[in-house]
Amino acid sequence: MYFSNDPSIQGLIERIQNPDEAVSGAAWQSAGPYGAAAVQPLAALMADADFELARKGKRALYLVVRHAGHPAATKERRAVERELIAVLGSSPTQVRREVVWMLSEIGSARAVGPMAALLTDQALREDARCALTRHPAPGAVKALKSALTTAPEDFKPALAESLRVRGVELEGYPSRKLVPTAQTTVAPG
Amino acid sequence: MTRFTSPITRRTFLKHSALVAGALNLAPACVLSQNAQPGANGRFVVAHIGVGGMGMTHLTNMLRFQKEGKVRIAAVCDADDNRLQAAVENAKTGGASVIPYRDYRYVLERKDIDAVLIATPDHWHAVQTVHACETGKHVYVEKPASVTVRDGQAMVSAARAHKVAVQVGAQARTAKGAWYTCRAIRNGIVGKVKRVSCWHYANPVDDKPVLDSPPPEGLDWDLWLGPLPWRPHNQRYQPANFRWLMESGGGQIRDRGAHQFSTILWCMNADHQTSFTIESKGRAPTKGLWDCPIDMQVVYQFKNPDWTLEWGQPGGKVGQTEFGNVFWGDNGHLILEWEGGYRPANPEAVNFKLPPGGQEVYRTDEYEDFNMNHKADWFKSIREGHLRPAVDIEIGHRTATLCNLGNLSYLLGRKLVWDGTKQKVVGDDEANRLLSRPQRYPYVL
Repeated sequence: MYFSNDPSIQGLIERIQNPDEAVSGAAWQSAGPYGAAAVQPLAALMADADFELARKGKRALYLVVRHAGHPAATKERRAVERELIAVLGSSPTQVRREVVWMLSEIGSARAVGPMAALLTDQALREDARCALTRHPAPGAVKALKSALTTAPEDFKPALAESLRVRGVELEGYPSRKLVPTAQTTVAPG
Repeated sequence: MTRFTSPITRRTFLKHSALVAGALNLAPACVLSQNAQPGANGRFVVAHIGVGGMGMTHLTNMLRFQKEGKVRIAAVCDADDNRLQAAVENAKTGGASVIPYRDYRYVLERKDIDAVLIATPDHWHAVQTVHACETGKHVYVEKPASVTVRDGQAMVSAARAHKVAVQVGAQARTAKGAWYTCRAIRNGIVGKVKRVSCWHYANPVDDKPVLDSPPPEGLDWDLWLGPLPWRPHNQRYQPANFRWLMESGGGQIRDRGAHQFSTILWCMNADHQTSFTIESKGRAPTKGLWDCPIDMQVVYQFKNPDWTLEWGQPGGKVGQTEFGNVFWGDNGHLILEWEGGYRPANPEAVNFKLPPGGQEVYRTDEYEDFNMNHKADWFKSIREGHLRPAVDIEIGHRTATLCNLGNLSYLLGRKLVWDGTKQKVVGDDEANRLLSRPQRYPYVL
């Protein structure tokens, strides 16, 4: 059960959980305007054991993010960002993986720190790296530079790649993008 | 062979057409390739990266070119050993002894390979094309050229920097059907065209969603995913269902749309019109892995000259077949079924006579089979040294941009204003961030 003090949000969540696909589909597809108040309940739904329900929660939350991303929706965007940052601190891995990408879409400079904190998480570091690569704030570059000094050796080439994409010149850590690794067992003709 | 009212060669066309530098800010077309040229015996050494559905068509084409002494097929590559095995056997049956690879980077390491044909899922197109260019190989890459705008830009830059010919597989531009339509439209068969509409059937729905599961035997899931963010394998990705994911195939608008829009831009002589507005609406599927909209309506508005392009799923069907296009002019309308390749042109267009002073349209005309012809056009651009095939990567990128921005407007739920000169959306930060998608390491641009 996903509980919200806001009856309209609670109603939204209950409709998304409705076994009637027509009701459920219409509900999650209408989530965009619900804004910040819907973030945490939808994020909780993203961790549901029912994979289709989890998927609906994710898609609904993306609609909230993209509604808040409208150029004129500054106040809404800040509010949604705050809630996303809160989710980033304390949710299951599969939820945080999506939320860090969401923050790459609408996050301000204040999102960089929480996103960068994931660079030390083995399961999430690559998604966090990609998300920070796309985040336009100068702080994202600083965070990637800082991570380069402390990251395990196996992650450093990826971080170096991000920094080069952001225009930073670096010595060392040559790209491994053209190094083949996977062999086939299929024999020549 | 059709008689032209005035002789026209590819060199003449490039000299006088709007494709030369200045009109479109392309590099001069007289650059000689400093990379792979056919060997002393005139043959290109080629390799195939991705040998699934369309990849097998390319292999069949190359086997015919090999019989004609124009190529030698050196290698085939796929992340799925089952497809790879089938390709090796097909090649052998067709008279080619090939080396199989799972990892395309082994192909790119080989200095003896002049050119590659890329027919992998769409999310791979940009990375593999850029890498191939960086290793000096000419590229034939399936449409859509790219899945993001920044991917497309990277492909153009790589092709120019490394002086290789990159042909995008929107083969209607070298096909008779589109050619007849193009010369008819450009020469006023329906008068001034202010609107072009497309109709297309809907995207399918994943009505049998399943739990994630291990990949099937023989499929290298990491390599299949490539630049996409990591996720566990799910049966509903296979086979070829990448088509229905926004992050990869992008649905019908990026699949067939890449063909239809390419033909339309050609007919409208509008390759240079890179700025426009886009407004999309769509009906999302309510469940399942596939997230492309079932129905969709996209309106693109171009200025100077003013005209409108409409993508419709299902759209307003005017012709007889499952998808097609209508050119609405002052004096009537002209239908083009499909994209101008697999179906013949409208008889009106076929029978159209150029008016006095009319503008002829060039196309390579070496093979009746338009798949073969499109590749012949590519080879010609390399042999002649200008490196600008009919669907040069710049054109492919501009076409894909229409598709990608159509999807972006749908995802964001709002109208976008695209500045083609600056290659950005006007006044929309989120939209501009979504023009790129950083790739999973090491499968990076």
